[in-house]
Amino acid sequence: MRYAPKEQIATDAIKAWKMTAALVMLIVWIMLVVGGILTFVFDFPQWPLWIAIGIIVLSTYFVIFKLPNIRWRRWRYEVFDQEIYIQHGILIVTRTLIPMVRVQHVDTKQGPILKKYNLASITISTAATTHGIPALYDEDASNLRDRISALARVDEDDV
Amino acid sequence: MCEPKRLHPVTVIFNMIRFVKEAALGLLGIGVIAIKDGAFFYIGIAVVVLITIIIVSSLLAWYRFTYEVSEDELRVKYGVFIRKKRYISKNRIQSIDLTQSVIHRIFGLVSVEIETAGSGSDKEASLKAVTYADGVNIRNQLKYGATTDTGDADAMSESEPVLTEDTPHVLHAEKVTFRQLFIAGTTSGSLGVLLALGGIAFSELEQFIPEHVYDEAWGWIVAQSIAIIVALVGLIFFVLWLLGIAGTMIKYGNFTISRHADDLFITRGLLEKKQITIPLKRIQAIGFKQSLLRQPFGYGTVYAEIAGGSLDDNREFSTILFPIMKKKHVNRFLKNVLPETAVMPETYNSVPARSRKFYVIRMILFPLALFVPVLIYARSFWWVPGLLLVGACILGFKRHRDAGVQRENKWLHIRTRGFALNHVVMHHKRIQAFEKRQHLIQKHQALATMEVSIVGMAAGGRHYAVLDMDDLEADTLSDWFSHRKEDGDAMRIKGSFTDQ
Repeated sequence: MRYAPKEQIATDAIKAWKMTAALVMLIVWIMLVVGGILTFVFDFPQWPLWIAIGIIVLSTYFVIFKLPNIRWRRWRYEVFDQEIYIQHGILIVTRTLIPMVRVQHVDTKQGPILKKYNLASITISTAATTHGIPALYDEDASNLRDRISALARVDEDDV
Repeated sequence: MCEPKRLHPVTVIFNMIRFVKEAALGLLGIGVIAIKDGAFFYIGIAVVVLITIIIVSSLLAWYRFTYEVSEDELRVKYGVFIRKKRYISKNRIQSIDLTQSVIHRIFGLVSVEIETAGSGSDKEASLKAVTYADGVNIRNQLKYGATTDTGDADAMSESEPVLTEDTPHVLHAEKVTFRQLFIAGTTSGSLGVLLALGGIAFSELEQFIPEHVYDEAWGWIVAQSIAIIVALVGLIFFVLWLLGIAGTMIKYGNFTISRHADDLFITRGLLEKKQITIPLKRIQAIGFKQSLLRQPFGYGTVYAEIAGGSLDDNREFSTILFPIMKKKHVNRFLKNVLPETAVMPETYNSVPARSRKFYVIRMILFPLALFVPVLIYARSFWWVPGLLLVGACILGFKRHRDAGVQRENKWLHIRTRGFALNHVVMHHKRIQAFEKRQHLIQKHQALATMEVSIVGMAAGGRHYAVLDMDDLEADTLSDWFSHRKEDGDAMRIKGSFTDQ
């Protein structure tokens, strides 16, 4: 674990994450507008509104334009014949080793946003844990899934 | 045993108890509404109807439940309106537990619970009440493939229908002594818990007690001589202590663990008797836990993490292998009962001194935060967060001192402290995933947190983390864990890509 895994995830992951973040922030903005209207209708004190606007503007910028890039840069994975090596995390960098012989099943998944960018996510499950690779190009994801599934098909008589 | 059999009729009573339990909440609601309206007549009718329903459905459930042990499987048929049939193949059965409640013992019965490797929180099949001989027979047939030679078991059921060691090939057995149970009960911690609960209850109640009553009572207490007060307090302690011992005795009385070829066998309980089978290959880790009360006397509990299985209300997350034991005896115990396991090491590689501050800071954050509201709203209570702060500091220091790992061939030993000191040992092949976490400050200080995951009860994961250990040590451990045969980290050319 001295070195980070080699492979990076799909570049379009940034776009997909930005889109997701934008959708989430849209909801936050709608709530802000509702809050603003209520403030004026009921004549609430205005300072909480201004604080909220400040925080939301800043976090919108950060969450949509900064976070996905940082997250993408940090995300790495590498699939060896005997194990899977994953790195992720922004403030806390987490590196995980999953032995192939412990992999129970591996899934690919594609939501509407990932589909728009031809991406898919992979979920790897062991008997005790679940791990994911969030965004690979469709074809890469299916290939990787098949590869892991084939590699994991090693007979071991325990658990 | 080839034709379908019904359970013992006592099952009807068990069914009724279960139905009443399930319906209790609804009944309470109806009762409250009815009493409010003052319609006692309707309550009467409702109660009669309900009782009839409960009795009839209990009877039907019993009548429609049959089981049958054939050559290579157990067949259970049940369901009143929707018939369900469940066939459990013999070689899929992992463990068979026998339990006798007080009611079972009166009638010479036993409850048989069968588990397979399948996940889920339910028992695969459970025969609530069969005669003792039948129960033992079923177990021997399904588990050991023994012939239906019932002579032994029958004799047992006639003389005293009580669970005993009656399976062949006992390699080693260990029984808890009265002295050990006594110590276990004394240090069970229920004393402290009960006292704390009493304290909380009193402080909550205090505000509801009218002031003059409170004052009068206080006056009375003060008026009594100190001797009587001391005696009273002593009496309370004594009763709590007796309760703690009684609880332990009832739960772990006659605790016996024995080793068979491929299974561990545990018998325990004074009132409710339990017989548990643990297949060796399902044991994921062995642990030794020393609570704050037990550690000073060198005592602790030996337990095992078992994969799969079900979580019923009576069983803890970990399975107790021995309720109380001196630390110095643990290795001898493991050698006798589980010779396949590595014994506990003499020393651990502790976390480095520079990580102490992280342990302490992590602990004191909450008490420090608590100071803010207390100082604003209730300044005279400053000592509450103050005491918490001192306690947290001590615990932080202790946690730092106790955290450590040790490797021994394919075995990994981990020692950590929550409140209790916990030693765990697991085999390389039981570890499902290895994780190393590092935030910026940790990286700067060459520290890292590692976590290993094993399979726990009810298909959940069990995770053991060692916080803020030496970065190098964590890397060495990851090398040890790594299944990669070639192209290891060390083989790579340094700097061929950035360490992002």
